Amino acid sequence: MGFKIEDMRKKATPKIATLIKDGVIKKEDALDWLRTIHEIRFFEEKVFDLLGQNIIKGASHLYAGEEAVATGAMAAIEKGDVIGSTHRGHGHCGAVGNKYAQTEEERQTHWNRMMAELMGKETGYCKGRGGSMHIADVDKCHNIGSTGIVGGNQPTAVGAALAEKYKKTGKVVLSFFGDGSTNTGTFHESMNMASTIDVPLVAIVENNLYGMSVPFFASEVKGAGRASNVEDIAQRAAAYDVPAMIVDGQDVVAVFIAIREAAEYARKNNKMMMVEAKCYRWYGHSRSDPRAYRTKEEEAKWREKDPITVLSDKLLAEKLATEEDLRAIRDKAEKTIEDSTQFGIDSAWPDPAELANDVYVEESYPQSLIEAEKKSAVKALEATDAFEAALKTIEGKSKKEITEKSKAKIKDEYGVNVLMMKEVIAEAQAEEMRRDKNVIIEGEDVGLYGGAYGATKGLVDEFGTDRVIDTAISEAAIVGSAVGAAIRGLRPIAELMYVDFITIAMDQLMHNGAFNRYMFGGHAKVPMVVRSEGGVGRCIAAHHSKSLEPWLMNIPGLYVVMPSTPYDAKGLLKAAIRSDNPVVFIEHKATYGQMGAVPTDEYIIPLGVADIKRQGKDATIVTYSRQTMFALQAAKELAEKYGIDAEVIDLRTLKPLDIDTVARSVRKTGRLITVCESFVMCGSGAEINRRLFEYKYEDGRTGFDYLDAAPLNLGAADVPPPMSEPLELASIPSVEKIVAAVRSLV
Amino acid sequence: MAKEVKLPQLGQTMEEGTIVNILIKEGDEVKKGDVLFEIETDKATLEMESPAEGFVKKILVSADETIPVGQLMVILGEKDEQLSPEHSASVSAGGEKPAETAAASAESVDAKVVKLPQLGQTMEEGTIVNILIKNDDKVAKGDVIFEVETDKATLEMESPAEGWVKKILVSEGETIPVNVPVLVLAGKDDQLPQSFIDSLVGTEAAPTPVEKAPAEKTAAPKPSSVETKPAPVTAGRIFASPRAKMVAQELGIDLSRVQPSNGLRIVEADVRAATAGGVAIGQATAPAALPQMPEPAYKLGQKVPLSKFQKITAQKMLQSKNQIPCFYLTVKVDATEMVKLRTNLNQTGSVKIAFNDFIIRAIGLGLKQFPEMTGQFKDDHIQLAEEIKIGLAISVGDELVAPLVGNADKENLIQVAQTSKAVIARAKDGKLGIEDIEGGCITVSSLGGFGIDSFIPIVVPGQTTILGVGKITDTCVPIDGNIMIRKLMDMTLSIDHKVANGANAAIFLDYVKKLLENPQALL
Repeated sequence: MGFKIEDMRKKATPKIATLIKDGVIKKEDALDWLRTIHEIRFFEEKVFDLLGQNIIKGASHLYAGEEAVATGAMAAIEKGDVIGSTHRGHGHCGAVGNKYAQTEEERQTHWNRMMAELMGKETGYCKGRGGSMHIADVDKCHNIGSTGIVGGNQPTAVGAALAEKYKKTGKVVLSFFGDGSTNTGTFHESMNMASTIDVPLVAIVENNLYGMSVPFFASEVKGAGRASNVEDIAQRAAAYDVPAMIVDGQDVVAVFIAIREAAEYARKNNKMMMVEAKCYRWYGHSRSDPRAYRTKEEEAKWREKDPITVLSDKLLAEKLATEEDLRAIRDKAEKTIEDSTQFGIDSAWPDPAELANDVYVEESYPQSLIEAEKKSAVKALEATDAFEAALKTIEGKSKKEITEKSKAKIKDEYGVNVLMMKEVIAEAQAEEMRRDKNVIIEGEDVGLYGGAYGATKGLVDEFGTDRVIDTAISEAAIVGSAVGAAIRGLRPIAELMYVDFITIAMDQLMHNGAFNRYMFGGHAKVPMVVRSEGGVGRCIAAHHSKSLEPWLMNIPGLYVVMPSTPYDAKGLLKAAIRSDNPVVFIEHKATYGQMGAVPTDEYIIPLGVADIKRQGKDATIVTYSRQTMFALQAAKELAEKYGIDAEVIDLRTLKPLDIDTVARSVRKTGRLITVCESFVMCGSGAEINRRLFEYKYEDGRTGFDYLDAAPLNLGAADVPPPMSEPLELASIPSVEKIVAAVRSLV
Repeated sequence: MAKEVKLPQLGQTMEEGTIVNILIKEGDEVKKGDVLFEIETDKATLEMESPAEGFVKKILVSADETIPVGQLMVILGEKDEQLSPEHSASVSAGGEKPAETAAASAESVDAKVVKLPQLGQTMEEGTIVNILIKNDDKVAKGDVIFEVETDKATLEMESPAEGWVKKILVSEGETIPVNVPVLVLAGKDDQLPQSFIDSLVGTEAAPTPVEKAPAEKTAAPKPSSVETKPAPVTAGRIFASPRAKMVAQELGIDLSRVQPSNGLRIVEADVRAATAGGVAIGQATAPAALPQMPEPAYKLGQKVPLSKFQKITAQKMLQSKNQIPCFYLTVKVDATEMVKLRTNLNQTGSVKIAFNDFIIRAIGLGLKQFPEMTGQFKDDHIQLAEEIKIGLAISVGDELVAPLVGNADKENLIQVAQTSKAVIARAKDGKLGIEDIEGGCITVSSLGGFGIDSFIPIVVPGQTTILGVGKITDTCVPIDGNIMIRKLMDMTLSIDHKVANGANAAIFLDYVKKLLENPQALL
């Protein structure tokens, strides 16, 4: 079904009694809807009151007035269906929690935990890490949470839907978002992605007519601006050629009917549908909003369509309840919220000692694995050296023949393969995809093209388009959907063609990918990998040549891996895919053709373990990625020409950072030179310095004490990487610069 | 049941609100959600809704009033409800009034609260080193009441007012921030209420509303600038890498004896090289190695013939001992600044200045100030010198001569140095004229160069005094509670008691010492 708009407001909404008669709902369901609406309303009123008393601090985006949308939608879906929420999410969380509460006690507990979360208490859903804008019961309610960034949760919902489809769960995803978010880039990226990769998604626009103070389309107040030239957001579905509905968001029955239809469509067809619910918030955007942008008359008009009134009137008119029944429902709801308030007040604060808990899923590797890997790393390095030597000595008619002969020689002598970086990247992914069905790849040109740098070559042939998914050029949606799919149990690898493009996906990567686990109180994990490439070396200027790892190191919740050799790349990528934490894996664009020895047996390299690529005693060079090769060359020159014996440490993983290995080395040499291609200001070198200065040895001394010279940081010049080759080369460390730096210190 | 309506926080940053409009009056019935007030906050003007329903029993605020969040505004109740006593009380109080402050009770007895002044731009706190007063003492304005150690120095804190000490609020050794009360002064028989004293203890730097004294009364007393000790300087810093320091400590190497091979800072390799060279703490403190000595010039039992000069010296010294009853005064001069200044001057100037030149110039100024120290006893009067000429004892070959440097009272240090150089050159060339040896009033004799710490010289007949100058020695000196390394120099003045008494001579010598310690004054 392509684009069409069905305006449900023009159709007669079925009577509740009819729904009961048809067996769609039971009478108790309808009464419970009213109770839920009341509970949300009391909750929001209480929150407003508590904010005024400063018992609740922080944000206050209240859902009062819009309760019918959440209540109707949650009633319409199946248990196990997934929801994605917004910064105005108390209603979604409240209604979906009621859906899963089996007993009165569970229902009370649900509201207790909501109120406690808003108060920032340990008993809250997210242990007080998220609060109002990030409240979600991820575990039980299949709620992939809410975000504080307008439009921020749309890509995540698309990814969740992708996971449900891939795993054939038969579940759909309800993605709630407001009218304001439909003018963000993520809206377009997400709707386009959902409609092109065909996922079971119901996109529910809660159009409450104002994005903070700016009317979506129009306001009677003079001077008010406008966010859109189109009154009905449903019209935007035309851009994606998907069906849409418009529904009266004040009428829970109408919402129920519409969402039920939309969810069934999505479920049956693995496709998306858009539902625009016209609604109104009673309060301002937040506490300090004087609501100058809308008239009192308009507010009064909408108040007549209060979801409580609308449903109560129906129940009375259809004689499904008496005034007394209704009052009883209202009183019960009020008591629930009063009790939850008391629960929140009585609850304990989170313990500051646990401040840093749940940022990461704990990861550890057996010491035996670490030791074994060190040995195989040494062997790989030796074999690679032997291969390079063989290239120079073996004779042949062509370069290709020499290479093949050399490879055979190494295989013979060392029992290892010699492969190119891009080959091992593809191989690592293929091995993990064979091992674990939950590993999928998505990104631009990862399919038939095989990746811009050939790092996914051949994978679509083996694993099909369900697992190797070519997407539109939508970086935010690529990363955001990987987050959603990861939360829902997949292990997605999202490829970004250049790390420079991560700037567009930063909100998704940081706020959803890296922060979700912590902000949901440790109740989510995001096992995903963002693979990308970076660095200078191909004269493609500053939009395609940066090394942005310091940005990423600066984000709690992320891991950052940057390999220098094919051996490291393979083992590290496999570890990254198996990690339960979000990992950014950055290859260097100049290394894809680099050849190196790789064991034939399966191996992984633990994250957070540096590799000493050359032992030395006079100075410690700490580096990673392509600069490791420069540093090794420099060390060779230093030894041969100047008799300086430099140690070269390849960090391999920037986060977690193996400062132990660095500190042990500096204790020996007394001199530290960091070498990288990221901008030197606030760069990774500066961070390594800081960590070393503060490092505490078992003798009570610090890294500072063991220094015999001020450390030197070599990094990229503080200029946008230029295109012109001489300038490009001048902007980063080189073998000569490393030699000079070490000599100046020794 | 009465219900209190308080000003809610209508936005995260709101701390107070101004009542723009009151939309209710007493006796009105209001519903939950009815707008009661329009409140202007830091962000916007907002409608404040009633959190409950009821009848307005009392409105406790008025339009245009600005009140803090949480202040009681309205009391709601049942239609015919009478407010309970506690509510009535809050009504009559019109909300919370600040408690009676100590100010009021202090004013009644006219107490003066003395606070720790800021004794220097960077001073944030001070340590009470010494309390020089006690309770019930009378102090006058300007009396020194405390010694306060600041970040820079130990200073005397003067009383900014007069009065009787009623209460000392600090104890010795206590460190307190600037502007904290330290003392209360009042009239002789004034009694200070304990509550007032209590209110002062632990008062933070915020100005107390009590303060009656005008600002200038509490202005920081000026530490006397003339008497200020020279600012402590750290002894010549040794630059060494942290690792070099660590290794030096482990090996017991004195870093001051290690040379940095890169000229910038000592590194580990320098320390290890020094170990190989045998520099260690143990040796560093050992006496310097014995010098190589030449064959003795004389044999025991030998008769040494008198030179002409030695004959004259013997006569004059005997004459001095017979005719000049001396007393002796010794001072220690902190020569740190002088050494520094001399180094600086000699790095840039064309005339090399000797330490003796500093001393001659200082004596010149001293005698100008105290001409009585130039006198000769003449039975019925003391004859002061016509002009100031200062002898400088030097060896020329085997001979001791003391040629005179004139005009040290008039000429600056550089000129004095030029004069003394010329005189010394003449002495060495044997070309001293009569004016170079006649008419001196004092001689400077330095044996510092021979390693002598201090000695008592004999006054040259015809002169009033002689100054014996010892060597300059690095010495640990306690300054402001810190041990500092300073360059000290002993000076001993022998004085003809016929001419000068102890006090005169002491003042003169002390003045010379101060000039040497403030060597800029000699320029």
